[in-house]
Amino acid sequence: MAAHQDASTGAISAESVAAKPADARHPVMHVKVYSPFKTYFDESADSISAVNATGPFDILPRHHNFMTLLSAGELIIRQGTVQHKIRISRGVMHVKANQVIVFLDV
Amino acid sequence: MRRAQEIADEEHSMATIGELSSAFEGIASMRIAQIKNQVLESQDFFNELWNIYRQIAVDPTFGYGRKKSEKKVIEKGLFIAITAEGSFSGDIDEKLITWMLKEFDPAKHDIIVIGHHGALQLAQHDISFKRYYKLPEKDQNINVEPIIQEVEQYQDTTVYYQSYVSLMVQDVKRITLGKAVEDQGKRSKTKDDIINESTYIFEPSTYAVVNHLERSMMQIALSQVIFNSKLAQYASRFRAMSSAHTKADDSLEELHTLYNRARRANKDERLKEIINGLHKLRSTT
Repeated sequence: MAAHQDASTGAISAESVAAKPADARHPVMHVKVYSPFKTYFDESADSISAVNATGPFDILPRHHNFMTLLSAGELIIRQGTVQHKIRISRGVMHVKANQVIVFLDV
Repeated sequence: MRRAQEIADEEHSMATIGELSSAFEGIASMRIAQIKNQVLESQDFFNELWNIYRQIAVDPTFGYGRKKSEKKVIEKGLFIAITAEGSFSGDIDEKLITWMLKEFDPAKHDIIVIGHHGALQLAQHDISFKRYYKLPEKDQNINVEPIIQEVEQYQDTTVYYQSYVSLMVQDVKRITLGKAVEDQGKRSKTKDDIINESTYIFEPSTYAVVNHLERSMMQIALSQVIFNSKLAQYASRFRAMSSAHTKADDSLEELHTLYNRARRANKDERLKEIINGLHKLRSTT
């Protein structure tokens, strides 16, 4: 099951996707996605996918320190069998020590 | 003496004015609370961005989003005047425009005006401005990007705005945008970590990220100044409505006394007529 949210309208929709079961022992990271006036996601996650000027990319736990400007597209956050999709117009992603912060609308 | 019915009608209208002003007073008070809350939320967001920006070890001066850029800078200062959209703001906009014009030199400055009332005031002073923007109606997610694009072209930017001191006190203030960003940053606790190319991967490049962060922080700082201005305008409206409500209540009390007097005078008049009639009847019999 996937929760789907539009960052510009805040509308949430759900859709079914086939996702691999999460391994309870594998490391997770903390992901926070927010804009000046709203927090869209603030929990542990297994991975996050997004798009920047180079193309689509994934962030997994233990990723190297990373800062990038995000392009318009979909942020996909995977949490076990659940996928959270957030449509974004732009943003900044900061990855450090298994902490991912995505600043939206900036 | 006015007729009782006439006074009753006026009393009814006054009661409606009292109810309306009370409702507007409530709306203004609610908006003030909402905006205050939003300013606090966006401050947290700003602090986190500022922390990251300050840790990136590049040029320590604020670059208005144009570090290492080849774009030509206009050798002038930019004045931004944030005023009310309507003309219900009392004399505070006039005070703001007069203050700005004291510093204004057409050879050294350009003006961008936000709010119709400010544009009217400038036209009355025969001063031309570069751009006019409507004051955003909504109190959330306002888009200041077109203004920031203008700001990036100028040497420096000074914002003149109405400031909220308390519900009963509003003032006019002036701030340079770069200083507004730095002042907000000082309120946040900066971490000591250093972010540079040897410890981080930057995409597309360090300067692209730094410029983007500077632009973003200017957008948040300008949004906050606009919110502060709106807060002052709502407070001014609240004060006007509160005073209208009190006046309506006083008038209502006065009208009610007048109404009672008029009714009593009416009754006395009728009683006099009856007694006179009785006297006449008695004298004829």
